[in-house]
Amino acid sequence: MSQTALALPPGRYRFSNAVRSEVAKIATLRSTVITLGLTVVAGLLVTGLVTNAALGHSPGYYMGFDPTSEALTGLIVAALTGGVFGALLITAEYSSGTIRATLAAIPRRPVLLGAKTGVTAAVMLVFCELLSFVSFFLGEAILSGGGAPSASLGSPGALRAVVLTGLFIALMTLMSFGFGLIFRSTAAAIASFVAVVFVLPLVMHGISEPDVRYLPTQILTDSVMRTVRQGPGGVIHPLSPTVGILLMALYAAVAMGAGALLFLRRDA
Amino acid sequence: MITVHSLTKRYGATTAVDQLTFEVPPGVVTGFLGPNGSGKSTTMRMIMGLDIPESGTALIDGQVYSELAWPMRQVGGLLEAKAFHPTRTARNHLRCLALANDIPLRRVDEVLDLVGLTSVAGRRAGKFSLGMGQRLGIAAALLGDPGVLLFDEPVNGLDPEGIRWVRNLLRDLAAEGRTVLVSSHLISEMALTADRLVVIGRGRLIAETGVADFVARSGTAAVRLVTPDVAAFSAALAAEGASVGAGEDGSLTVEGLTAPQIGDLAARDRLRVHELVPILASLEDAFMELTQDEVEYRPSTNAGVAAGAKE
Repeated sequence: MSQTALALPPGRYRFSNAVRSEVAKIATLRSTVITLGLTVVAGLLVTGLVTNAALGHSPGYYMGFDPTSEALTGLIVAALTGGVFGALLITAEYSSGTIRATLAAIPRRPVLLGAKTGVTAAVMLVFCELLSFVSFFLGEAILSGGGAPSASLGSPGALRAVVLTGLFIALMTLMSFGFGLIFRSTAAAIASFVAVVFVLPLVMHGISEPDVRYLPTQILTDSVMRTVRQGPGGVIHPLSPTVGILLMALYAAVAMGAGALLFLRRDA
Repeated sequence: MITVHSLTKRYGATTAVDQLTFEVPPGVVTGFLGPNGSGKSTTMRMIMGLDIPESGTALIDGQVYSELAWPMRQVGGLLEAKAFHPTRTARNHLRCLALANDIPLRRVDEVLDLVGLTSVAGRRAGKFSLGMGQRLGIAAALLGDPGVLLFDEPVNGLDPEGIRWVRNLLRDLAAEGRTVLVSSHLISEMALTADRLVVIGRGRLIAETGVADFVARSGTAAVRLVTPDVAAFSAALAAEGASVGAGEDGSLTVEGLTAPQIGDLAARDRLRVHELVPILASLEDAFMELTQDEVEYRPSTNAGVAAGAKE
């Protein structure tokens, strides 16, 4: 019936086709490079300023001092980047109309969603792990150079903190990606992410302070980045790193799950 | 071949597409005609698996779009003017799509050349004019060299040269044996491009027919007559049972008799004839007659000359 000049190859398009297309999409957007580049600069600047400010204090200041978490502070910038990046990867397709071309090429929606999720998570995981290690080494170099207590990857809990921080932010990126799938609007998705990550902790402090430990920001700074337990007397008892990362994985799974259900069922 | 069967789509209380059934055969251009809001775009989006129908099926060579092995190599669609990211270049946009269906990357430059965008292939697509965006959309549709093509209002935003180019492209694609469905609300455009018509109004099928049949079937056949013997001729025509109207330029418009019959009458009664021209109903007349009850949006009064002219 329909004659085509290019004969159809055997088989059908595969998951790998969808992955290669999504990788090319990320790589061909200048905003990706700019966003990630700015994150490196701002993140390392924060780490540099924070560790520098921790130099030259009296010995009492260093009671319970955690050189690892000091050197990872800059990764909080990456958390915001992850939120914006994760949301934009899906909402920009809707606002520009590209999603229609994308679905015309990869109409099996689970395949497309799997590829998009995998590529988003992989890019942010690799990026955040690299940034986490670089930030750690930079921070420790400043601390030890300034004569303050410092850590190495061999210090108790340090390697775990560095690795889990990168993983945690990749999970935050996926949560924002889930918001993007749910709302399909950049403004709504980023607002939701900022509400959960940056506004909710402030509100929760006023409602039920001990429960702040269940919120992503608190898990990141008090459970995941920290290697020295805070002294007694605090109201907030942080979750263990394992429980913390699992809880963040649950948040990401809920947002992604709701977004995926909507994506598979509704009109594009 | 596209086969649409009992396709239905509702948005809340509105039924956008209602039990629609039609076929689009290969080798000819099938025009998809209907007033604004009649469900053309929704139907095309359901054929391409973007919108999910309430009931019914839309099949391409017997398969649902989402089950196609190589969608872009089997179906090409231009469904909206701007389906690309504004900061990605035209060439990169097409490359991303080519990768998704294992289409050789040399094909990207081929289609860019085909639509005349080679010189701006490295420019960000967001800077494109509506017409250039439309050409990029056509390039994406042709990327996989598919046997089935759907174009939703492809000439929107194109200049006269571009319109002629699209018209020839559609006819060439059909001549190569491909299945071509092209929607428009511009009847004159369809008259020049399409061989067959699928006409819908308010989501329902009104007609599925050849262009010539469509015009012949509806439309009142009349004959324009110019004669100096107006009074005698009018009386003779009335005696034969024809109805006679007066044209603005002094001509007569005769209904109920054919031009040969009027000519014979003139010879019999020795009446003078200066002009005798059959008036064929235009595609536009036929369309208006068929869809006059089906228009979703119409101006509240007929006073709006501009609004009427645009339709």
